[in-house]
Amino acid sequence: MRLGSARRAVALSPVPAAALLAAAAVAALLLDGVLPLALLTAALLGLCLQARTRLRPYLFGTGSAALGVFLVWPFLQTTGVDVLWEGPIVPVLGQLDITREEIALAAVSSLRLAAVGLAFSAYALLLDHDRLVAAATFARRSALAVALATRLVPTLERDAAGLAEAVRGRGVEVAGVRGHARLLSPLVAGSLERAANLAEAMEARGFGSRTPTRAPSPPWRTADHAALVVGAALVLVAALWL
Amino acid sequence: MALVDVEGLEFSYPGADAPALEDVSLRLEPGEVIALLGPSGSGKSTLLRALAGLVPHFHGGHFAGCVRVDGVDTRRSRPSALAGTTAAVFQDPEDQIVMALVRNEVAFGLENLGVLPSEIWPRTEEALAAVGALHLAERRTAELSGGELQRVCLASALALRPRLLLLDEPTSQLDPDAAERFLGLVGELGATTVLSEQRTGRALALADRVVFMEGGRILADAVRDDGLAWLAEHRARYLPPQAASGSGSSGGEWVCRLDGIRFAYRTGQEVLRGASLDVRRGEIIALEGPNGCGKTTLAKIAAGLLEPGSGVVVRSGRAGYLSQDPGRYIVRDRVLDEVALGVDGDQDRARAALDRVGLGWAGGRHPRDLSSGERERLGLAAVAVAEPELLVLDEPTRGIDPDRKAAIAEWLAEYAAAGRGVLVATHDRTFPADRRLSLESEALLAA
Repeated sequence: MRLGSARRAVALSPVPAAALLAAAAVAALLLDGVLPLALLTAALLGLCLQARTRLRPYLFGTGSAALGVFLVWPFLQTTGVDVLWEGPIVPVLGQLDITREEIALAAVSSLRLAAVGLAFSAYALLLDHDRLVAAATFARRSALAVALATRLVPTLERDAAGLAEAVRGRGVEVAGVRGHARLLSPLVAGSLERAANLAEAMEARGFGSRTPTRAPSPPWRTADHAALVVGAALVLVAALWL
Repeated sequence: MALVDVEGLEFSYPGADAPALEDVSLRLEPGEVIALLGPSGSGKSTLLRALAGLVPHFHGGHFAGCVRVDGVDTRRSRPSALAGTTAAVFQDPEDQIVMALVRNEVAFGLENLGVLPSEIWPRTEEALAAVGALHLAERRTAELSGGELQRVCLASALALRPRLLLLDEPTSQLDPDAAERFLGLVGELGATTVLSEQRTGRALALADRVVFMEGGRILADAVRDDGLAWLAEHRARYLPPQAASGSGSSGGEWVCRLDGIRFAYRTGQEVLRGASLDVRRGEIIALEGPNGCGKTTLAKIAAGLLEPGSGVVVRSGRAGYLSQDPGRYIVRDRVLDEVALGVDGDQDRARAALDRVGLGWAGGRHPRDLSSGERERLGLAAVAVAEPELLVLDEPTRGIDPDRKAAIAEWLAEYAAAGRGVLVATHDRTFPADRRLSLESEALLAA
């Protein structure tokens, strides 16, 4: 992963980079203030923007989920006294109203979600997952499974586009949510087939043998140690003071 | 001593009606290069998987007989234990990529085999250099083209320094020059190599021996000259074909006109720079050019699936488009329904389209149960069933055996003769066409 501007980037080893992102996600869950959460979210957004490709679906997914939480949250809460809007009484939900306190809570929740989503996006877009797997001293198979699952997102994205294009190429329009939903089942079936082919290829290349070795990785540098310290400090500060 | 000894091998996939391999016996000597030929679904890929130990360990099913590789009985050893002695490159490179970076991908097999850490990077670089892909070492595998991925897969296999190299259609996504270099390299390795190819010319030029399969059985097994004689007598279409030239017919009025097309997937990286092209009724145009030159992009623009950055596209009628690797994009659970999708469920038309591509027997099957070559033909039937005025096909002969290819070429000629236009983006220089245009040439730009 690279931190800092694209030109003056500081390359981190994948383990401290992953630890730093995990610390940012944990800190986001611990923080209660809108301002520190907004700052953390902005920092993670800036980090994600360094990705040159595949950024849009991650930003869209994270942004729409966070916006959805912000819009829905006030209607699911009944807290606060400073009423900004008073709505009708709805069965099951009761009276719909929006208070200043509910908006503040909605902002905190949506910012938390955005920060966690952006931390994952940075993990998916910027980390060298191969080296992360190689660094796993235990449960290497599980680490590889996580890395492969992370790669599934862009693969699914590509397959979905190919599937829609193949259907359009036959003169069948794929329109609306319903049209795209019909492609979900073949997309899953295709993914399972791809997974089976990959498993076969991995076995043919000796995966699962009892005495694997690892290609040597470059040693950690000062920035890597610093990232671990910053990550720990971030969690500590979020837990104790903010 | 033979490196590979197969005796009376029989194998059926779980739930299959018929055996995939029947009474197969074969001995391979060290250093031999074998061209493994035969129609789609004849058992070639299954035999390669049996030699890698993946059949029966990975696939299950009924297995009888014996396969020994370097003295090891494959029934008693996992495929991972055979890795290193054997290495395989399968049909679809995208399905074989494990790691995110090219150099890590090549190192993956070496790590699994327990190669000394100090040797892993040098062997990785050596293998990448051998396939001319050292410059790709730091690239992300997700960003590579199909041809580049195939080279990375071969490098991953070569890095293991196998004694038995199993190649299943390894050049299907390469342009002719790249395929030539690829197989030239295989010939220099000195490993026993079993090469399954549907574009037989290069495989036969390289092979010491020819094995021909049909219906799960070996029909012929002979040294090259005898094998060529057998093919000439019994399966002449598998002999090295001559490159096809354009008939020169310019067809009737145009069905699609592209003028001054420019296109870029990313800002500043133009794939097409002013390409122009007319497709006329009654003609088949073969669109050629090396990997990455923009054939697929131009084909998609002609079919209306992509909008050009600038330039004019005019069509007189509906277009249909067959994508590369259509077998991956299956949307129904039955072959007949898959084809009928394009004609509002009209099963009579779907049956007729399946008959035309030789898949009339498969209407009730699940599309994913078909072989890769059969899926290609299914894709063709699914697009052509609606009889679009302009039929655009992207690599339609990939993985298709010579008999079927001849039948498809004949059918496409009839399709065009009925007053429709056909545009074929292809690496296959033997595919018959009225005009052959290369995206590299000024002819296309000035057409």
